[in-house]
Amino acid sequence: MRVVVAEDSVLFREGLTRLLSEEGHEIIAAVGDAEALIAAVRAGRPDLIIVDVRMPPQMTDDGARVARQLRAEHPTLPILLLSQHIVTQHAVELVSTGAFGYLLKDRVLRVDDFLDAVRRVGAGGSALDPAIVGALVSPARDDDPLKPLTSREREVLALVAEGWSNAAISTRLVVAERTVETHMRAIFQKLDLFDSDDTHRRVLAVLAYLTR
Amino acid sequence: MRGRPGMGEHGQVSPRRRLRVLLGLAVLAYGAGVALLLVIAAQGAVPGTGAALLLAFVGMPPAILLGLLVAWRRPGSPVGPALVALTAAPALTSGLEQWGATYGTPHPLPAAHLGAFLAGGVWVFNLAGFVLLCLVFPTGFPPGRFWRAVPLAFLGAAALVIVIIGLDPMNLALDVAAGVVFLAALGSSVAALVVRYRRGDDLTRVQLRWLMLGAGSVPVLLLAGWLAEFAGAPVDVAYVGFLGAMVFVVPATVAIAILRHDLLDVDRLLNESVSWLITSLVSAAVFALVVLGVAQLSTTANERIGITAAAFVTALALLPVHRRVHRLVGRVLDRERTVMIATMQEFVRKVRDGQAQPEEVQDALRLSLGDPALLVLLRRPGADGYVDLSGSVVDAPPGELIPLVARDSEVGALVLGKSTARRRRRAREVAVEARLPIEVSRLRVELRRALGEAQSSRSRLVEAVADERRRLERDLHDGAQQRILAVGMRLRSVQRTLPAGGATHAELDAAVNALEATVAELRRLAHGIRPSRLDEGLDAAIHDLVRDCPIPVDLRVERAEVSEVAATTAYFVVAECLANALKHAGANRVGVTVARAGAGLSVLVADDGRGGAREGFGLTALRDRVTALGGRLDIVSPLGAGTTVRAEV
Repeated sequence: MRVVVAEDSVLFREGLTRLLSEEGHEIIAAVGDAEALIAAVRAGRPDLIIVDVRMPPQMTDDGARVARQLRAEHPTLPILLLSQHIVTQHAVELVSTGAFGYLLKDRVLRVDDFLDAVRRVGAGGSALDPAIVGALVSPARDDDPLKPLTSREREVLALVAEGWSNAAISTRLVVAERTVETHMRAIFQKLDLFDSDDTHRRVLAVLAYLTR
Repeated sequence: MRGRPGMGEHGQVSPRRRLRVLLGLAVLAYGAGVALLLVIAAQGAVPGTGAALLLAFVGMPPAILLGLLVAWRRPGSPVGPALVALTAAPALTSGLEQWGATYGTPHPLPAAHLGAFLAGGVWVFNLAGFVLLCLVFPTGFPPGRFWRAVPLAFLGAAALVIVIIGLDPMNLALDVAAGVVFLAALGSSVAALVVRYRRGDDLTRVQLRWLMLGAGSVPVLLLAGWLAEFAGAPVDVAYVGFLGAMVFVVPATVAIAILRHDLLDVDRLLNESVSWLITSLVSAAVFALVVLGVAQLSTTANERIGITAAAFVTALALLPVHRRVHRLVGRVLDRERTVMIATMQEFVRKVRDGQAQPEEVQDALRLSLGDPALLVLLRRPGADGYVDLSGSVVDAPPGELIPLVARDSEVGALVLGKSTARRRRRAREVAVEARLPIEVSRLRVELRRALGEAQSSRSRLVEAVADERRRLERDLHDGAQQRILAVGMRLRSVQRTLPAGGATHAELDAAVNALEATVAELRRLAHGIRPSRLDEGLDAAIHDLVRDCPIPVDLRVERAEVSEVAATTAYFVVAECLANALKHAGANRVGVTVARAGAGLSVLVADDGRGGAREGFGLTALRDRVTALGGRLDIVSPLGAGTTVRAEV
């Protein structure tokens, strides 16, 4: 994949670039601020951008805001946000459009998981950090639309929200993939999701989970 | 006088014209008296004419001129003519007496037997001008017909005295009767002064006091003259003091009162002279009584013992008597000042008893001095310029300042709305009484200012701490964490070049896991310093808190744009209270409400736990944080009925 990395910490940027290069990705630009990121995307047409949320010039959530802007300009451009700590602003909106990932920076140390997430997002899937899923989920309420779900189904849905495939989920939960599929069908039914496109249904289910 | 038309209408004689006639008569009387004296002196037949002439020529002209001056400066006032009359009356009287005295000489003047008839009682006319002055000073007759009749009564009484004395000087009964009538007329004129003083305004009273100062000496010196005559002094000498007072002192004080009142400290002068006079009389009486008493008690005691004892007793009594007399005279003659001081003393007593605030001293001063525009300014210790009683700086003090001094340093100043020499003097006197509330107000202003300064420096400190926490949190996230992660990634890169399963591979794996744990630890640390979610708003941060809470939380958070320090403080209030509800109260349910309140936030955390919360380290630290920002924290925690913490940030 042709990747643009936007990260203001030089050390971290170089580490990331090296990791991705060794994996066989082509780093077409490694930039340190929001402006440069926009320019690089316009110039290089990357397959994926990896963006740090906190970046110059304002050092707040510049990365996330630029990601939204780029998503508007290039609706199919896969975006992977990295953050030092959890920031949920902008996240839900980006989740709903797919091809989006949001991970804590710590995850890069689990290299295989990280590279897997990079691949998933690049392929149009999603990858949400469990901590961020946790932060997005509101506390339980009485009018909870997820109330009919069993605890196992919720567990599955949380993993779906993190971006895992049915196969990966079955590995994680140590069950057969068919069991996961059965859970998914039940979830779609209980949430009244009758769309034919499976990918779209998964996104809707995740949104229902995150924004209830 | 010139160029101003008379005020009469319908053909009546105008008051000014009447005044001019009166003035003319008075001058004429003086001229007639002097002419008589001159003629008699030319003959040289009567002894004592020279002395009378000396008085008329040297002593009287200043008084006559003063009267003319007053008449010129105050043409509408009867005081000028009355002043001239005051001096002209003794001149004419003296002339008539000398005329009568020529009767028994070799060269009697024409109709000298008539003069001799008059001369016995004509002395009463000495007082004619004095009576007139008392009646009309300082603004003409008092209202009412009665006062206009007094001069006629005086003339009648004087005529009666003259006739009785002229016909039969030895008839005591008639003498006494005539004396009583005369004294009644004289008393009426004095009563006019009293009435006017009681009804008069500020200015009138000041002017009257001047007159009283001068007039008071007249009867005293008259009395002295009688005593001297009785003791055998020649008539010419005996009455010099009396005549001098009437001719010099009274005109001088009246002129001052009319033209330039407030020139001297007349109140105190009057007060002091009267009280010393009375004290002297009382002392003399004591002295006489002791001498008499000693003589009565012991016939053997010689005169010296009596006098020594009397001197001793009198000396002992003198000062206490004077103090009492002084106070009494002050109450009678200077009632206004006595009331003023008493009002202020009453206020000071109220302040001492806690019934009034010392800061009300300005109102108290306004009340006691009758000056609603009066201002009290305070000087802050060690600072230039003035502040008012509320502590606001007064840039340019309006008007003239009366400094208030205590222990050689200025504590403040008074600014009078109405400023005259008399009012300034009064203000100084009352300010002495008001020293305590003024000094207390000054210290309280200073205290409030210092407290305000402490409060603001405390909240600046808390803000600085909040900023520092934010910076620390950023540094941890952007600095240390990123570096550790970068190192970890390099280790991973190395690790991936090694065959899996080797000892080095496993060693690197363990090292990177340790780094990962370190980063997680740093995140927790940073979160404790300042939750990063506050970047997204207080509501996001509190949602995070509540999500981690194992019991149901009823959360209502209003989005509000507040300062970093207020948001951080509100966050820690909620965090601490939730932790308490879980750890100590054993609550099953918690309600958290955050709402906008003015420019800040109101935070309410209520649980259904066992209550009875005591203010330990956590809540105390919380209260300190909240109050440092000028907010407040209330804890209601009855045993068994839950705990409610309400904070205004």
